Amino acid sequence: MRAIDAGLMICHECHQLNPIQAESAKQFCTRCGGQLHARQPNSLARTWALLLTAAVLYIPANVLPIMTVNSLGKGQSDTIMSGVIELVNYGMLPIAAVVFIASILVPTFKLVGITLLLYSVQRHQPMSARQRVLMYRFIEWIGRWSMLDIFVIAILVAVVNFGSLASIVPGYGAMAFASVVVLTMLAALTFDPRLIWDNTDSDDHHE
Amino acid sequence: MDDAALPKTFSGLKLKQLIACHECDLLLRKPSASAGQRVECPRCGYELYTHRTQVIRRSMALVIAALLLYIPANFLPIMHLNLLGQATKDTVWTGVIGLYNSGMQSVAVVVFLCSMAVPLLKLLIQFAVLLSIRLDIGRSYGLLLYRIYHHMREWGMLEVYLMGILVAIVKLVDLAELSIGLGLVCFIALLLVQVWLEVTMSPHQIWEALSGEDEYEGD
Repeated sequence: MRAIDAGLMICHECHQLNPIQAESAKQFCTRCGGQLHARQPNSLARTWALLLTAAVLYIPANVLPIMTVNSLGKGQSDTIMSGVIELVNYGMLPIAAVVFIASILVPTFKLVGITLLLYSVQRHQPMSARQRVLMYRFIEWIGRWSMLDIFVIAILVAVVNFGSLASIVPGYGAMAFASVVVLTMLAALTFDPRLIWDNTDSDDHHE
Repeated sequence: MDDAALPKTFSGLKLKQLIACHECDLLLRKPSASAGQRVECPRCGYELYTHRTQVIRRSMALVIAALLLYIPANFLPIMHLNLLGQATKDTVWTGVIGLYNSGMQSVAVVVFLCSMAVPLLKLLIQFAVLLSIRLDIGRSYGLLLYRIYHHMREWGMLEVYLMGILVAIVKLVDLAELSIGLGLVCFIALLLVQVWLEVTMSPHQIWEALSGEDEYEGD
């Protein structure tokens, strides 16, 4: 049985159970004082909004250069993908794989994954609750690793600073990419995982 | 869902004897956990709680260690780079400043928050919460702070930053003369202590201690 069916609400913040008071519009946790919601309000709409914004910014993030390397008067611009290819050409395959996963695979997977989660919750289809919850956890856990490329740029800009000899300047792709990462992380946080289970009837075995 | 089963299953149980899964809202009778035991939700597998011993004392030691490591980890050079006689050094802080001065203020702010501000705030809040439990003062502020802490957890990214350092080292090692600084050692130590602290300081015990519901055991 769900807590909501028993007239109970769980606090988002401290996980304390609170009885639902029907008459009051706003209700606060008896233990920590956080505001209570049986389900996060407008979870699906908010997640869609964040997701769509991230999807729009995903294009400049991949097309625009994330940094420009100036060396002895010559400038060379790098996008996310060309940075990975360069690492492969150096023969740094393991590191190239890490950067490829963190900067290309993970953001793409997150955009597709959250879309699938939202779609399947709204349509009560097509994945099982267990598949969906595994996917949600994976997305929530892996999201932060996309910041990798942003940190690499920060370090390179600081350390490769030899005036006209060699210097690195960040590009607007970095700004777009950082926005995509932050927005998809927010989208994963706004999504209420309990919605995944609300439309399944598989919980009778656990009572 | 059979509503007729509702009162039969859970009636006569007090709120304290029940627990609901935070992730799937399944209502359960609270299992009794002995020291070191981990309790999981039978439906979705989410960790409900883990019961640990000596939580306050051990967390306090770890949080002090982490705070001491914080300054050297962020302000000592992580690496030195030498190109044709010119030398530069990199710290976490110069990384933020470098981005800021190159016109990417918004990205610099994100990097500053994720690699410096949030990790420090998290540690300070953990320290304040532990002090408030230990000295039994200002528990309402402790509750508020600990709520803020739970919203910041996602945004401290020390481990991702460490991976970033490794990638940067690999990219630079062929281009110029590179040497590792003491800052990197402190940074790794800070990361390890912080992960250990996160595992030790089990939230449900801290919540119970803060609200005075339960005498925290083993301390």
